[in-house]
Amino acid sequence: MTIPRSRRTFLRDLGLSGASLPFVAGLPSLQAAQNQNPRQRLIVVFSPNGTLPTQFWQDSPGPLKELKAILQPLAPFKDRMLMLKGLNNKIRGDGDGHQRGMSCLLTGIELLPGNIQGGSDSPAGWASGISIDQEIRNFLQKNPATRTRFGSLEFGVAVPARADNWTRMVYAGSNKPVAPVDDPYQMLNRLYGQSKDRATLAGLLDDVREDLTKVSSRISSEDQKRLKEHLELVRSMESELKRTGDESALVHPEPELDPNIELVNDNTPEISRMQIDLLVNSLANDMCRVASLQYMRSVGQARMRWLDVEEGHHHLSHEPDKNKNAQEKLLRINQWFAAEIAYLASKLDSLPEPGAEGSMLDHTTIMWTNELGKGNSHSQNDIPFLLLGGGSKFKMGQSHDFDGQPHNRLLLSLAHSFGHEIQHFGNKTQSKDGPLQLT
Amino acid sequence: MRLPFFSFVVIPFLMTGSALGQPDGRKIYVTHCASCHGDKGQGNEEEYDEPLWGRKSVESLSRYIHRSMPEEKEDTVIDEDAHAVARYIHEEFYSPAAQLRNRPPRIELLRLTNEQYRQSAADLIESFKRPQTIIPERGLRGRYFNVEKMNKEKEHVLERIDPVINFDWGSGVPAEKINQNGFSVRWSGSLLAPETGLYQFRVRTHNSALFLLNSFRGDDDKNSFIDAYVSTRNESHEKSGSKFLLAGRGYPVFLRYFTYKEKVASLHLEWKPPGGIWEAIPNDYLMPEVLDTVTVVGTKFPPDDRSLGYERGSGVSKEWQQATTYAAVELVNHLITYLGTVSGLSKEQRKDPAALRSYAHQFASRAFRRPLNAEQQETFVDRRFNNQPDPMVALRHSMLLVLTSPHFLYPKLAENNGPPDDYTVASRLALILWDGLPDKELLHAAGTGKLNQPEQISTQIQRMLHNSKTRRKMKGFFNRWLALDEQHDLGKDPSLFPGFNERLVADLRRSLERFVDEVAWSPRSDYRELLLDQHLYLNERLARFYEAEPLQGDTLQRVTLPGRSNSGILTHPFLLAAHAYHDNTSPIHRGVFISRKVLGRLLKPPVEAVTFKDEEFDPSLTMREKVTKLTKATSCMECHKIINPVGFSLENFDAVGRHRVSDNEKPVNTKSRYIDEDETAFQIGNIRELAELAAGSKPAHEKFITTLFHHFTKQSINAYGLDTTASLHAKFIKSGYNIRSLLVELTTLAVSHETEDKPLALK
Repeated sequence: MTIPRSRRTFLRDLGLSGASLPFVAGLPSLQAAQNQNPRQRLIVVFSPNGTLPTQFWQDSPGPLKELKAILQPLAPFKDRMLMLKGLNNKIRGDGDGHQRGMSCLLTGIELLPGNIQGGSDSPAGWASGISIDQEIRNFLQKNPATRTRFGSLEFGVAVPARADNWTRMVYAGSNKPVAPVDDPYQMLNRLYGQSKDRATLAGLLDDVREDLTKVSSRISSEDQKRLKEHLELVRSMESELKRTGDESALVHPEPELDPNIELVNDNTPEISRMQIDLLVNSLANDMCRVASLQYMRSVGQARMRWLDVEEGHHHLSHEPDKNKNAQEKLLRINQWFAAEIAYLASKLDSLPEPGAEGSMLDHTTIMWTNELGKGNSHSQNDIPFLLLGGGSKFKMGQSHDFDGQPHNRLLLSLAHSFGHEIQHFGNKTQSKDGPLQLT
Repeated sequence: MRLPFFSFVVIPFLMTGSALGQPDGRKIYVTHCASCHGDKGQGNEEEYDEPLWGRKSVESLSRYIHRSMPEEKEDTVIDEDAHAVARYIHEEFYSPAAQLRNRPPRIELLRLTNEQYRQSAADLIESFKRPQTIIPERGLRGRYFNVEKMNKEKEHVLERIDPVINFDWGSGVPAEKINQNGFSVRWSGSLLAPETGLYQFRVRTHNSALFLLNSFRGDDDKNSFIDAYVSTRNESHEKSGSKFLLAGRGYPVFLRYFTYKEKVASLHLEWKPPGGIWEAIPNDYLMPEVLDTVTVVGTKFPPDDRSLGYERGSGVSKEWQQATTYAAVELVNHLITYLGTVSGLSKEQRKDPAALRSYAHQFASRAFRRPLNAEQQETFVDRRFNNQPDPMVALRHSMLLVLTSPHFLYPKLAENNGPPDDYTVASRLALILWDGLPDKELLHAAGTGKLNQPEQISTQIQRMLHNSKTRRKMKGFFNRWLALDEQHDLGKDPSLFPGFNERLVADLRRSLERFVDEVAWSPRSDYRELLLDQHLYLNERLARFYEAEPLQGDTLQRVTLPGRSNSGILTHPFLLAAHAYHDNTSPIHRGVFISRKVLGRLLKPPVEAVTFKDEEFDPSLTMREKVTKLTKATSCMECHKIINPVGFSLENFDAVGRHRVSDNEKPVNTKSRYIDEDETAFQIGNIRELAELAAGSKPAHEKFITTLFHHFTKQSINAYGLDTTASLHAKFIKSGYNIRSLLVELTTLAVSHETEDKPLALK
């Protein structure tokens, strides 16, 4: 058994050498410190237009066997994976399938009647309740032990800038959509902007002082006094900035982003990696415990040229099953999403969890989900829910088939896994049977 | 007194002063006064800590000393002694001339005031694009479409200018041929901001609307300022947002609206300007042309020094230094993000290091108000670009250095010593008239050596005078002079004054602002009209409240009110209500305000501050009677003999500025005895007679002249020469009391002034 890194460092800080370890290890206080409140995280990843059921689901429930084609990129994580078939989005009411697929997905509640007209059904407004990630975020923020600077961060990749119920899945409450940030520079600025500005300033103030001194020497003595005061203030700002710059307790240095990537469709793969890097970095520096990563939007029509797919995603998803060409392209598309999640998972797995055993992935639940079960039928049954990672106490390495249970119950399970034991979530009828048995 | 025949030997001895000869004022002062007033009249912390200075004449001082000084030993210094010591102190340190002689004011090195910083930053960015031209037309241009499906414009039905966006269409339509089942509208134009400050905006609709204001991404709907796109159940919903805006500029507006298969249609575009109330954005502030964006520095600055009665950048504090530094960071971040939009550089140029370097150079020289010298070019441009591989980063550093540099923050550093050169003139003109940076025309004139002759300077002043930026600064002058933006609590007792609500007060303030603006920009621009004009600007609401002939609508119109004696600002209901209690008039507040601000009288703070407590008086007394009682002590009367007559002459206007003939069931008495600065008494029958007196009074003129001077130049008028006030006064009278001429004269004077500072040797 490897001595957990945290204990080792803890002991080192105490000034105890390795020689005294066996003697010290038995002290109860040391054990307790280790297990107290390890961090627990949730990341929701969204991709649109449904999946290819035969290329995704296991043939039967039970321990996970050979993964199907779409999930090949995630093979290394099989023993930490949980597949949940048979969960249906049963929320009806206003809005078409895509609108409800998107905005009822994490909220589990009806949309408000409104003016956004979809392809069919009645027009709709925003969701009428909070989404599960925000529910869990609020729960964690209330407790000082789990509170973080942001609580949650919402990342996007290639999300159109229109705000409507096709582009929003996160809600702070009824009628309160939360927009994802799909520009990595904007996100970088949000996370580190201030400190970057301060660093730039600290470097330049020296020149400001030089300039002031030169000017000072050329004016009358009465006026010099005023500039002298100004100079003093600049000097004190400079030393203040230098001082706080050294003390920044970032575990991981601020990531450097390539400044030349433009936000165009063809750069989506680079943007995706940049967003994932930022996401991992923000979790490593404990800026939040809840996050979401939204790829495009429901009805996403991205042309994934980097995969040699010229047609729009949504268009392809409506091709009949017998169109082998379309099916093959959809496979490539979904494998790409899986590969991005694999990148996210492996980055988290490469980082040790501060203050606990295992890697960060062992304390993070990634949930990959979708607006639809299947694209061409618009089915909202068998929504592809896939969980990855640890920290939830769910039994991983398994596949379940719930045979048509409302997905609200999964949302309840997620809340309960964080110790937030709510009785229902979203539509009361759909959640009345409580959380799913996943442990 | 006759001297004995042998006394010529002793005369020198006697001449030094004794009870036999003339009293020695200095000796008397040292013996009887200095212990409380200090040896130079500066005061004494334990006794009397105010410096001894004022505007009384020697005779007046002498009478005062005879009566009241020294305190508790009033009989000690009387008659000739009082006269002698009065003469002494008047000459040594008391009189304004003595004050100036002892501490001659100089033109100080001042930093930009907060307003000047913001306007200069906006000017700097604007200089790279087309300047704003405010046209006279008002309203927003709307293009109306019928739509099919959801918000797909099918048919352009009409285009027109809508005066305001305040529509309740119900189940009707805005115009013929518009389809109730589905239509959309695109409005475009600009919003004109009257003041600098934080504005709140609100879109209220039953349907779908997007509002873009000062958007740096053009009319691209995405990321709109207010997004009320998604509606619920066809119910009225509203979304609001706030933005910091700069006075005197226009901000591009795009408003998109649509409705589809909804029973009820409506749209309201509303705002709450600083110090204002929620209302549909009035027609006066909407223009149907789209202007370029304005780069607004919205960072909060600490308030400027107002100790001399006007805003000036005379101090640097930690808060100010930090605020300007972070403002520079925010500004540069914004510029780099929107470099394409604000710089006029093409995409290729933005990748070209030479183009970026050139832009940095221009940015610096415009910020510093003159071409860069070799040293500045090295520090601010070359050193950045030579040391930094990424030219965008170099540009960022260069701009940050420029904006935090004293060359930008202290405009005086752009001036040369001695006779002002062309660039000094340009810099001064822009700062005095516009609170900003020289524009293209000024820079061109300076660059071609055409800004040093009086005719050339005069031409530029005339050009600049009629630019909206000068109008904006003049508006600021009236705000300051009449203290319009100080937090007046105009709330009144609603049971006594029903209908005097926030809405009415907002209208009243606009009425006053309109009046002074019209006088200043009329052909004659006659100062006396400010005090004597008999009209009021009223709209429907105001006409009803002030019992004038009925008017229609929100627009202000110039009317007379028979039966009400109006006299310019002195009887404007806004000022009368502002300087009154919530349930009654206040002759003291009105008296103080008018005495100080209009009549130019010097009133020091009261020796004893006494609160007016209505319940302490016999309830049958009128306000006049109560005030008379309260202030009758001799020590109070020193100032109240000036204040009270002014206040009493306005007693025929109640606490909300309405005309009245009785107070507490007794007839109002507006007769009073006004004492001028020479202690001459005038019998005044009513405010109009007082106004006529004021319109010809030297202190009133001088007050106006110095206030205008200080507001525009931010320097002490005496720093330009001790005779400056007198000289401007003479010109003012000669011009027929023309306000614009006065502004031109003072600008010409300040711009042509030679700095006398001895330059130190260049190190």
